[in-house]
Amino acid sequence: MASVKLTDVKKVYDNNVTAVHDFNLEIADKEFVVFVGPSGCGKSTTLRMIAGLEDISGGTVEIDGTVVNDLQPKDRDIAMVFQNYALYPHMTVYDNIAFSLRLKHMPEDEIYEKVTNAAEVLGITQYLTRKPRALSGGQRQRVAIGRAMVRNSKVFLMDEPLSNLDAKLRNQMRAEIILLRQKLNTTFIYVTHDQTEAMTLGDRIVIMRDGIVEQVGTPTEVFEMPHNIFVAEFIGAPKMNMIETTLEEEDGKYYVRPFGAKIEVTGEKSEELKKKKVGNRKVVLGVRPEHIVLADGPSQGAIPCKLEVNEMMGSELHLHVYTEDETRLIVRIPTIGLGLEQRKEMVYGKQLYITFEGKVMHFFDPETRKNLIYG
Amino acid sequence: MKTYSDLEFLKLSKGEKFLYKLGSFFCAIPRGIKHLILGIGRGIGKAGQTVGREIKDIVSTFISGDWKTKLSFLVMGFGCLARGQILRGLLFLLFEAVFIGYMVLTGGYWLSMLPSLGKVGPTEAYDEIFDTYVTTYNDNSFKILLYGVLTLFFIVAFVYTWRQNVKQNKMAEKILASGKKLKSGREDLRSLVDDQFHKTLLALPMTGILVFTVLPIVFMVLVAFTNYDGTHDGYYNNLFSWVGMTNFNTMLSWKVTGGAGTQSYAATFGEVLTWTLIWAFFATFTNYFLGMFVAMAINKKGIHFKKGWRTILVLTIAIPQFISLLYVSKMFAKNGIVNGFLMSMGWIQEALPFWDNPTWARISVILINIWIGIPYLMLIATGILMNIPADLYESARIDGANAWQQYRKITLPYMLFITGPYLLTSFTSNMNNFNVIYLLTGGAPTNPAASSAAGTVGYTDLLITWLFKITTGAESQYYLASVVGILVFIVVALISLVVYNVLPSIKNEEDFQ
Amino acid sequence: MSEKSMLGQSHDAPMKRHMGLRASRLAANTAIYVVLIVISIIWLIPFICILLQSFRVESTWQVGYVIPQKWGLDNYYNLFKTDFPKWYVNTFITALITAALQTVIVLCMSYTLSRFRFKMRKALMRFMLILGMFPGMLTMIILYRVLKDLGMTQANSVPGLILVYVASSGMGYYVSKGFFDTIPKSLDEAARVDGATRFQVLKKIILPLSKPIVIYTVLTAFMGPWGDFVFARYIAFGSSAGMNVAVGLFNWLNKDQINSYYTMFCAGGVLVAVPVTVLFLCLQKYYVEGVTGGAVKG
Repeated sequence: MASVKLTDVKKVYDNNVTAVHDFNLEIADKEFVVFVGPSGCGKSTTLRMIAGLEDISGGTVEIDGTVVNDLQPKDRDIAMVFQNYALYPHMTVYDNIAFSLRLKHMPEDEIYEKVTNAAEVLGITQYLTRKPRALSGGQRQRVAIGRAMVRNSKVFLMDEPLSNLDAKLRNQMRAEIILLRQKLNTTFIYVTHDQTEAMTLGDRIVIMRDGIVEQVGTPTEVFEMPHNIFVAEFIGAPKMNMIETTLEEEDGKYYVRPFGAKIEVTGEKSEELKKKKVGNRKVVLGVRPEHIVLADGPSQGAIPCKLEVNEMMGSELHLHVYTEDETRLIVRIPTIGLGLEQRKEMVYGKQLYITFEGKVMHFFDPETRKNLIYG
Repeated sequence: MKTYSDLEFLKLSKGEKFLYKLGSFFCAIPRGIKHLILGIGRGIGKAGQTVGREIKDIVSTFISGDWKTKLSFLVMGFGCLARGQILRGLLFLLFEAVFIGYMVLTGGYWLSMLPSLGKVGPTEAYDEIFDTYVTTYNDNSFKILLYGVLTLFFIVAFVYTWRQNVKQNKMAEKILASGKKLKSGREDLRSLVDDQFHKTLLALPMTGILVFTVLPIVFMVLVAFTNYDGTHDGYYNNLFSWVGMTNFNTMLSWKVTGGAGTQSYAATFGEVLTWTLIWAFFATFTNYFLGMFVAMAINKKGIHFKKGWRTILVLTIAIPQFISLLYVSKMFAKNGIVNGFLMSMGWIQEALPFWDNPTWARISVILINIWIGIPYLMLIATGILMNIPADLYESARIDGANAWQQYRKITLPYMLFITGPYLLTSFTSNMNNFNVIYLLTGGAPTNPAASSAAGTVGYTDLLITWLFKITTGAESQYYLASVVGILVFIVVALISLVVYNVLPSIKNEEDFQ
Repeated sequence: MSEKSMLGQSHDAPMKRHMGLRASRLAANTAIYVVLIVISIIWLIPFICILLQSFRVESTWQVGYVIPQKWGLDNYYNLFKTDFPKWYVNTFITALITAALQTVIVLCMSYTLSRFRFKMRKALMRFMLILGMFPGMLTMIILYRVLKDLGMTQANSVPGLILVYVASSGMGYYVSKGFFDTIPKSLDEAARVDGATRFQVLKKIILPLSKPIVIYTVLTAFMGPWGDFVFARYIAFGSSAGMNVAVGLFNWLNKDQINSYYTMFCAGGVLVAVPVTVLFLCLQKYYVEGVTGGAVKG
């Protein structure tokens, strides 16, 4: 139940490696913020600085308006769930959850109340007398969350809590975290390398790379308006296709020329380009796989290509294709969009024609790698 | 030496590869030494820079500080007291008071005597009443050296504390200027079990190490530059004094310098050092390989009573060495059980000279050391062997490797890799393996040519037992013992450094993980 | 890992395949049994001899045979007419107090070096590594003089010995640091976030998890004083009342004493070895863990 404010937060290690460069972010009360990025991007380090487990090399961290740089973790009123759960192996589940309350010298009957409540919410009541080693991964995860839950702390920190679980359990726990969030109604900071988790959980997402914040925004913003190529590729799976091509202006209309085809830019994108007075230039054209469709045959707006791999994902097909100049693209089409016969024909070497609409395109500067419209 | 790229290296024949590796090992030694010297140089440079920075900071603190800070330069802790940090202030003040008191009362005296180590030795005066000569004892070189060093330590501590005091003022000013509060005494105390807990934990162990290890070592290193011995004990008979490098010159000179022996100190030292290295090599590697084999034998599938075999072996660890080794030493004596047994069986006519012939004695200590050493290695090897991933062996068997090939290609490299650092420490501690040598032979048989070097040096003496003999010998040539000690340190340090810089397993830590 | 991956694959060698798995394995195992039995005999002989000699009554000097001609407890009985009980008590007290204090010191040191990242940590560890390269024996001379000034030598040597053993024990932190390094750091962090001070982390999380290393440290610290005959002899400086068992028994094997005390040395040795060995064998598991972990960590 508190805001968190990071101002120019920096982390420099002893060997002069900078893990986090001037990190600025204001997290509102009760907001759910996700730090996401590839490993080594500084997201965990930032979280650990907020928790007080890592010294802050520069800048300030404020929780609820107080600068906490010099406070010990225990004095920051935070709760945290660790990637490997960090359950105390010599204590029962009950003692694990009660540990923080006992340190606060809370009366035992009150502790009992809180622990059993939390256990009920998490569905681990029948394991309370067990030791952590007798639990499965998912149960351990719940205990770790329970331990953080009973604290009623100002900020709830989670460091890749789901990455040690298998895929099925991860989806289930993800849904439970959303429910938990509604129950706890407090400020969450969540670290993950998985963009799906970030998209589904976060009110806002902070995308980081090499210690630098690439973009901060709502899931819709980062998906629809990626600031640069990195964000565009990182968010969304399979990742966005990037095509080096030219943007041409003709009579107030914009066209792109991917692989010899000519496709008109339409809708908002065209308006925005006009507003920014973009002329003829080289661009990196970004198109998400799900926005590409199969064309019936050769035409001005269709790109000829050949099928390399056909991944049947169940409800959809991921087609890996290559164009005449050996550029690899990915196309994602719904399975029901194709008849049974057509699906059978989707084998290595099949000639295809693909195209996409003018309103789904993203334009990036090949030099700065920034989005021409939103960057 | 020509260096090959990875691909070129792969094309070499087996023999060439071996030679190349051997060559690179020895080529790496000078590089290691160069690296070390450069490192030391850099360290000194860095230290100089740090001192410069510190002085600059002290001056700037004084100039920019307020009057409380300025006064603190003279009265330590004043700034803390004036700013309400009573506890810190009092501690600083107390330390300063104790320091000044100590320096005025005794420290000054010890320090002033340090360059001479005492001026007046014991004097005799005729006492008319008792009609006898009465000795008056005056300066005490030993105490002067000891307390002189202690005073120097104390001064260093004072300078450090004074610097902290200055730093505190600067920090306090900064904190107050930013509108925050200073830590109270209660908070200071609380932090000692929290964010400053390491200081609390280290206080006792480090004090112990400082007083009972560092101080004695500094003292003994200094003794090497004096003539402290049985006839110059510094108080009762004669004072001792600084003699510069004389003792090192004696030890490392090839001139024969009197005494009963016909050998120079340098020659004796060379012989003892050579034997020490030979001993350490054999003691380390015989135990290593035999211990590994015993471990593999016990761990082999289908062998029963694993625990029983291990327990029998570890008896030599459990039973104090002075019992087992002393007893074994007597077993192999001329009139001991072994000779008695062999003679009663009629296999030999005369007692075998286990301890009387230099070569016999040397081989005997190495062999008996196996008896002591195998169990340790067996335990260690068992632990490591258990951790070798089974799939390594499975894939090797599928590739068609037999037992010996599996050992050569998997077990041995894995063991060597994991135990590389252990082998190094094992080697250096064998160099200093006092117990085995002293209890088994006491250094005997005596080397008659070497007896001019203090004590009676024997053919099985290691540097460390020689050092002990010098110390406890009739002449108690402490200065010479100290010289030997310093040389032992240099040898051990050099070996460690070279090995650390060259050993591949230490560099490529991740290979097997 | 299964034990089959150690040496025991001779039956897979293609050449031997025609012998049949079972026969070849039997041959290999028999050979190993023979080797192990020989080794065991060699290992046990000295201890059996010492035990047998301690019951020999007909003579007190060294003889060339093992089995006594006349059996009896005379040697044990005679031990109590010497200072042996005094030495025994001295050693026991020293070992007990040393074990307690040394464990505290070693654990403080190793826990700190494993868990805290402070400015001087690396330098401190390097410094202690270098200190350890000096032969410790050298410091005996000065430590003796200092203890003498403090009145802790000769008959009073027990407190002096304890002081010296305990004081520098912080240098032997390697093995237990290796153990602490294997306890995940995230446990500390979780506890600190949960509101524990560093001290509480140590008390409530780390110590309960450290039973093996605590026992290892106590065991090695307890066994040390039983075997020290160098420093203890120097400190006792000829005063029988201040000796420990090692020094006392060691003196009995001097040239001029050995003929009247040889069998009593054996008896004394048995009395020292039996309790220490029993203790060791009971706690063997922890010792093995410590030794193995220490060697692997380097």
